[in-house]
Amino acid sequence: MHEGTFCGRTRREFLWQAGAGFAGIGLVDALSRDGAFGSDPAAASGGPMAPKPPHFAARAKAVIFLFMYGGPSQVDTFDFKPRLYELDGKTIDIDTKGRGGSKRQGRVVGPKWAFRQYGQCGKHVSDLFPHLARCVDDLAFVHSMYAESPLHGSAMLMMNSGRILSGAPCLGSWVTYGLGTENQNLPGFCVMLDPTGGPISGAKNWSSGYMPAVYQGTVLRAVGEPILDLALPAGMTRAEQRRLLDTLREQDTAHLAARPGDSDLAARIASYELAFRMQSHAPEAIELDREPAHVRRLYGLDDARTADFGRKCLLARRLVERGVRCIQIYSGGSHNDHNWDAHGDLVFNHTTHAGATDRPIAGLLLDLKQRGLLESTLVVWGGEFGRQPTAEYAEGTGRDHDSAGFTMWLAGGGIRGGITVGATDELGNRAVEKPFHVKHLHATILTQLGLDPNRLAYLHAGLDQKLVGVERVEPIRELIA
Amino acid sequence: MPRLLPCLVPFAFAATPSAQDDWWAYRPLQRPAVPAVADAAWPQNPIDHFVRHGLERRGLTPAPAADRHTLLRRVTYDLTGLPPTPAEIDAFVADASPDAYERVVDRLLASPQHGVKWAQHWLDVVRYAETDGYERDRKKPFVWRYRDWVVDACNQDLPYGRFLRAQLAGDELPGATVADLVATGYYRLGIWDDEPTDREQHRYDDLDGIADTTARSMLAISIGCARCHDHKKDPLPQRDYYAFLACFENIAPYDLEARVVPIDGARERFEQATATYAAERARLLARLREVAAAATLAPAPRGDFGLVAHYGGEGGSAARIVDDVGGHHGRGEGQLVVVPGRRGQALRADGDDAFLVPRLVQDSFSVTFWVRADRGGHGPTGGTQWHQGLGLVDGEVPGVARDWGITWFADGRVLAGVGDPDTSIVSPPGYDDGEWHHVAFTRDRDSGRLALHLDGVLVGEATGNRELLDAPASLAVARLSTGGRHFRGDLDEISFFDRALSPAEVCCLGQDLPQGLAAAPALAAAPELAALQRLQPPTLATVEVLAVRENGPLPPPSFVRQRGNVHTPGAAVEPGVPGLLGAIRLPAATPTTNSSGRRSALAAWITDHGNPLTWRVIVNRLWQHHFGRGLVRSSNDFGRLGDLPTHPELLDWLACELIARGESLKSMHRLLVTSATYRMACSSDAGGLAADPLGDSLWRFERRRLTGEEVRDSMLMVTGELQTGLGGPSVFPPMPAQVLATSSRPDEAWGEATAAEAARRSLYIHVKRSLPEPLLAAFDRADTDTSCPVRFATVQPTQALTLLNGEFAHRMATRFAVRLAAEARDLRSQLTRGLELVTQRPARAADVERLLALATDLRRDHGRDEATALQRCCLVLLNGNEFLYLD
Repeated sequence: MHEGTFCGRTRREFLWQAGAGFAGIGLVDALSRDGAFGSDPAAASGGPMAPKPPHFAARAKAVIFLFMYGGPSQVDTFDFKPRLYELDGKTIDIDTKGRGGSKRQGRVVGPKWAFRQYGQCGKHVSDLFPHLARCVDDLAFVHSMYAESPLHGSAMLMMNSGRILSGAPCLGSWVTYGLGTENQNLPGFCVMLDPTGGPISGAKNWSSGYMPAVYQGTVLRAVGEPILDLALPAGMTRAEQRRLLDTLREQDTAHLAARPGDSDLAARIASYELAFRMQSHAPEAIELDREPAHVRRLYGLDDARTADFGRKCLLARRLVERGVRCIQIYSGGSHNDHNWDAHGDLVFNHTTHAGATDRPIAGLLLDLKQRGLLESTLVVWGGEFGRQPTAEYAEGTGRDHDSAGFTMWLAGGGIRGGITVGATDELGNRAVEKPFHVKHLHATILTQLGLDPNRLAYLHAGLDQKLVGVERVEPIRELIA
Repeated sequence: MPRLLPCLVPFAFAATPSAQDDWWAYRPLQRPAVPAVADAAWPQNPIDHFVRHGLERRGLTPAPAADRHTLLRRVTYDLTGLPPTPAEIDAFVADASPDAYERVVDRLLASPQHGVKWAQHWLDVVRYAETDGYERDRKKPFVWRYRDWVVDACNQDLPYGRFLRAQLAGDELPGATVADLVATGYYRLGIWDDEPTDREQHRYDDLDGIADTTARSMLAISIGCARCHDHKKDPLPQRDYYAFLACFENIAPYDLEARVVPIDGARERFEQATATYAAERARLLARLREVAAAATLAPAPRGDFGLVAHYGGEGGSAARIVDDVGGHHGRGEGQLVVVPGRRGQALRADGDDAFLVPRLVQDSFSVTFWVRADRGGHGPTGGTQWHQGLGLVDGEVPGVARDWGITWFADGRVLAGVGDPDTSIVSPPGYDDGEWHHVAFTRDRDSGRLALHLDGVLVGEATGNRELLDAPASLAVARLSTGGRHFRGDLDEISFFDRALSPAEVCCLGQDLPQGLAAAPALAAAPELAALQRLQPPTLATVEVLAVRENGPLPPPSFVRQRGNVHTPGAAVEPGVPGLLGAIRLPAATPTTNSSGRRSALAAWITDHGNPLTWRVIVNRLWQHHFGRGLVRSSNDFGRLGDLPTHPELLDWLACELIARGESLKSMHRLLVTSATYRMACSSDAGGLAADPLGDSLWRFERRRLTGEEVRDSMLMVTGELQTGLGGPSVFPPMPAQVLATSSRPDEAWGEATAAEAARRSLYIHVKRSLPEPLLAAFDRADTDTSCPVRFATVQPTQALTLLNGEFAHRMATRFAVRLAAEARDLRSQLTRGLELVTQRPARAADVERLLALATDLRRDHGRDEATALQRCCLVLLNGNEFLYLD
């Protein structure tokens, strides 16, 4: 194998030097970019989260992924299937695969909400989303998504890391690995969870896998202490801590003086100053009281049902303004009806979760648009899969999982608004027209952020690993404006 | 029974190995000559000749030797993961003898803490975790025994080849011990999706994890990438991957079930004791038979001894099971058939047959019957709840209810008990021997006493509720009352009595004594009955282990899987090893009763002294963990995607030396850390830095940050709280609520620990895939889903937050302050002592003054009392670079 040389050194030598202790890291891609480190030594020494140039001009600077954990039903939300109303209650031949295994027959559950047309594009949206429906001209729907697993455990990993096997870095890790982050005082990849708990597999959903932990998601809370161990311990004042840190810095500086040139020791001294700044920046970011009343209302902070998710959406906007690269907000947590996993009572479940998120999401889109931020902020909505058009049990409206066809939508960040791509069959069961795998969605997100999904690679276990896998993957071109 | 073939096809060699690849790592191992050096006074051992020779060629000078404090701190951390104690420092500094350092090294290598430190290095490489990952992220049962086995192997200096053979094929070793079985837990460490979308594909994902981990950890070959296509850089065709995978393909899929195995030597002791027991039992029974035969007939106490129903198998049909006493005929389900029985005819249930009878008893009662089966029943290993078995005679009602039942368990155990509260009696195992056995379950309502007898002898008793057991509407025979869980076997003489039979009466029935129940009063008076009841059957001492298991001696054929898809088999392959190492062949596999022998063959091949990789790989790992990085930096990949060795001759010399030293890793540790190369200072010499900034020439010692485990353990050490005990189930130190909230079941996500458990070494913290311990995670703990050869050493502000604001760090600072206050009188001496405990060197005046100034300011400007000011100073000490970095 022939390795290219960098300033007269082999790529690997260069890495050991530039990586400052990042043993084993394969910044294959970063180094193959024109001038990545060569013309900007600061990027090499600025640490792994220093901003890095994209592969090509980025349409989006940040991504907000609204994760509807549990799997929202496509036919009750955005994928209008009039035929299903007629078939309500009838048992038909239909191939499905979900939690309950593979079935050849099922009792149709007609959509439980009426659909109306909205916007210039005339998109059909169900009555679950009266607020969001007014934003359809900014949204691009993909009705033909499919995933490899109809089971939460592996499907969550697939939507977040591109693989059904645990151990790979998540989308946000790839993004911060590829682009760094613009605000070193805040984490580059933030995750906000539901008050009922995390999604199943917990931290695996924002893990950096085989990449260094700097690229893992940081759990951010919209109330109280935003980041673990960010708040001063009880009984300590900020002035006191400053005094403490001054002593620490003096002590470590004296230690460093006897060990000149050790960049790790120097970086660690600097990390305390960074931590000190984070202690003021992160709480400032979550000070939503500073937002005017009309903005707070826009996000639904005035209503107990929507206040929690609204706070997170508003916080997401503030994080985008502050240069955070990737934000993921979970709608739903824990198990059963605490999330969109409507196995029992579909109406109760989806009314609850749509009710908690409709106004906040619409508020987020409007607010981003009014501020001119939507152009550079990619918003993604969806779950790990959808739900079947038929009932799971002999009685009731509950639907089992459906990974063969489901809906996601994207907005902003160079996405064409008011369009719909792909289609499921007449019953909304399987993607039949232009089916798109989860990796196509990931490729689209990376592309909008200026990263070539087929170039963004990380050497691990003898392979140039990629979020989208080893084979070439195209983004969903139809979505791109 | 496993099918045994008289003659098995000999294990095939790697199919037409490609010409041996001419790459440094695949060349045969040859002991290089130790080079001469100009400065003959410098080397302490041959390692130094290789290093110095290289330096001389490049015109570089080695860094001076580290001072004693630095050296002691370095070697103590490297060998035990802990700092030296003040007494150890004083002793070493004061010891002027020429071998003072060597004796320190011997002491450290003999310390049990050595195993705690070095086990973690191996656990990183084999992706050790204690849960499966995915939705339920279930605990792997008894997986911690594998961790303890690795600790023991390090401490006992198990020869390296033996260390690998035990993990790869401990179960196939002749005279395999429990430890050998535990070692094969190696195969059960990976991620496991218990509800995969494609079960067969997932099984191969698991096998891939095993093959990839084995190749990377033991051979430093990245074989995993040949799963879907030929390796891009190394001559590893896809075919080689599947040949290698075939060595593992017969492994039974992970089923979460631990195996119960006899402890070492127990089997022999058990067999002796069993012979003694059987002889004594036979003698007593013979005597009782004489007593019964000679007894004067006693009248039945009431009616027919309280017998209310009797199902003997005679006179009915599959639909109607006749009660020839009370006429409470049973309603048959399925096809119970009649076979020759213990007496007359018996009823045979085939796994979906049963019959139902009314609730014949509910107050005091006895149920007796004969049972014969050649296979065990249902229920978890070690299960103790009667309603988890297959129903024999059962009245179970779901939930908390006043019900009861007698069931058939795994391992041929009989369980009997009552509900509300759940009370069970468990018989010994082994009644699934195809012979008739008599079961009697008695219940006395007044006392709540329950007793289970087998073959007329009490095997266990318990006290249950004293209520009317009227929950079941009817009783089921040969299945659980709630449905399903059918018994498969024969039943005879099923009898219901409306009183608790006495032990003598049960003995009459269970031993079929002459004159039946009428002989009971005579029997009750015989001392032999009491002796029989006292006679305890020997128990086989067992232990539960998580171990590998194969699907018998005959593996299925193996195929290349096109593009890695298990559903598209291609050409057939025979088990083999990568052809790039063509020089040595895989030996033939000898099947055992339960397994193919393929793993033993592979283990023999891997640990062959002619294997060019195995020995290079492990000495490189030892080097890596003593010197901060390997002679080959990519310690999991010696192929073309990996790094070249900086000192190839030294690497080969060390590998040969390991073999020559009987594969003793401790001996190699000693060699490495007593070299002059190891004893150099972390110099900042400008000339050296300019010539070799990366230190590849080994002109100086490289500074390193403590690992997360070392950070945490050291904090516990300076507070004086560290618990250094070894082994056992993992512990659950307090987890911040914010971290628990990230779990999908925050209330059930983590366990609890006593203060002593929480102060155990970090190796013993439960490793949960979906919930990493936050301090260890912040300090770059290995990701446990794939083999981790080299941990990252990142510097991040979140680490600063963890140590500055975290609950654990603050608690440690507080306790550290308490310790200092107790051990030294005034603030100055407290701070001096604190500095010494944290840095393991004499405190410098300037450092003490700096902290004193802080304490003074905190008291004057921030209104802190003395204790708080000291606590803050301790926090500064625990955050210092000198505490976290090792010179």
